[in-house]
Amino acid sequence: MSEPRHLDETLDGVSTVEVRTSASAALIPTIRAVASDLAARADFDLDAISDLRMAVDEACATLVDVAAPRSVLQCTFQVRPERIQVLAEVQAAQPDATVSTDTFGWRVLKTLADEVEVHHGTAGEDGRGTVGIRLDKRAGVLTQSTSFPVPRPNGEGR
Amino acid sequence: MTGADPEYGHLVPLLEQYAALDPDDPRREALRDRLVTGFLPIAQHIARRFSNRGEPLDDLVQVATVGLINAIDRFAPDRGSDFFSFAVPTISGEVRRHFRDLGWSMRVPRRLKDLHVSINAVVADLSQTLGRAPKPSEIAERLGVPVAEVLEGLEASEAYRSSSLDEMLSSEKGSATLGELVGAADAELDRVDHRQALRPVLAELAPRERTIVLLRFFGNMTQTQIAEEVGISQMHVSRLLSQTLDRLRTRLDPETRAG
Repeated sequence: MSEPRHLDETLDGVSTVEVRTSASAALIPTIRAVASDLAARADFDLDAISDLRMAVDEACATLVDVAAPRSVLQCTFQVRPERIQVLAEVQAAQPDATVSTDTFGWRVLKTLADEVEVHHGTAGEDGRGTVGIRLDKRAGVLTQSTSFPVPRPNGEGR
Repeated sequence: MTGADPEYGHLVPLLEQYAALDPDDPRREALRDRLVTGFLPIAQHIARRFSNRGEPLDDLVQVATVGLINAIDRFAPDRGSDFFSFAVPTISGEVRRHFRDLGWSMRVPRRLKDLHVSINAVVADLSQTLGRAPKPSEIAERLGVPVAEVLEGLEASEAYRSSSLDEMLSSEKGSATLGELVGAADAELDRVDHRQALRPVLAELAPRERTIVLLRFFGNMTQTQIAEEVGISQMHVSRLLSQTLDRLRTRLDPETRAG
């Protein structure tokens, strides 16, 4: 399940943007600014722009917590006409490090993004494992006619 | 509210006298003092409407009082309008200008501040008609400006610290229904793992921030829907939400978050 590490897939109107920073919380605002800018330029609606921005913020903050010291946080944005996919990844501090999905943070991610999943991979050179979060955000709210209060039909898997 | 208002009725003749006096007339100053003191409750009232927005009330009262003085100086009784309909917008204008100039955490050119204000107004309007949050292109079209400019304006609004100008006057609205809404979101909150101790941390939040978090993450409402419910702008909801998530993140234990 390894991600393509090169940017040669500019086909199908997909543009790819990669941001690599030290895995440090102080740099997350930079990444989320990129997320917000890409969504705004892709003409997402304001709710979706803000959701993506917060989701990227949350995902990166979660990952920075499990990242190996002095490792890299890599965010790959794939901008499609109607959606933006984000893969945020860090080198894991522990071999068995993962992102748990029964936390408030995960709930935040599930609410903000249309799809979220934990992603495990291997980072090339030293073969150390990576932990990542993959997000998928659509350009606009589905015009759900759900007016509040409507309980979620799909349980939160607990 | 007209000149017949019992509380201020006696001041109306003074206003006329004041306006009729020659600018150098020595009686002017005493008269002005009486007028300012007399109408001060209006300035205080307006200042209070803008309070709880990140600026100290004392400062707001001062700014509003400056607005009142300007209103008294510029009021022309012979133009037929009564003092209130002239003074209220003058005073609120002064307070708004204060927010516009001081409410930014980063130096942002005036042009962008003004654009931010227009965007905010148009967003509220478009959300209503569209039933969802508008896109930058839709905002641009409505304002008759290039999309690039809207993008710039949206970026500038990230630099805005406390609150936006257009949402201030509606803060009283909608609070009556919040109790019920939060009730439903609370039930949903019960389903979240307790080991995170989320509830006590949520309880530390200001009521409005807590409500917004509950509605967004446990009530499944969009920011635009929340904006309408709580009576503030979508951009303000967005700012409050990200600030609050930030706070929650630092308050919640890292290992309970990341596992």
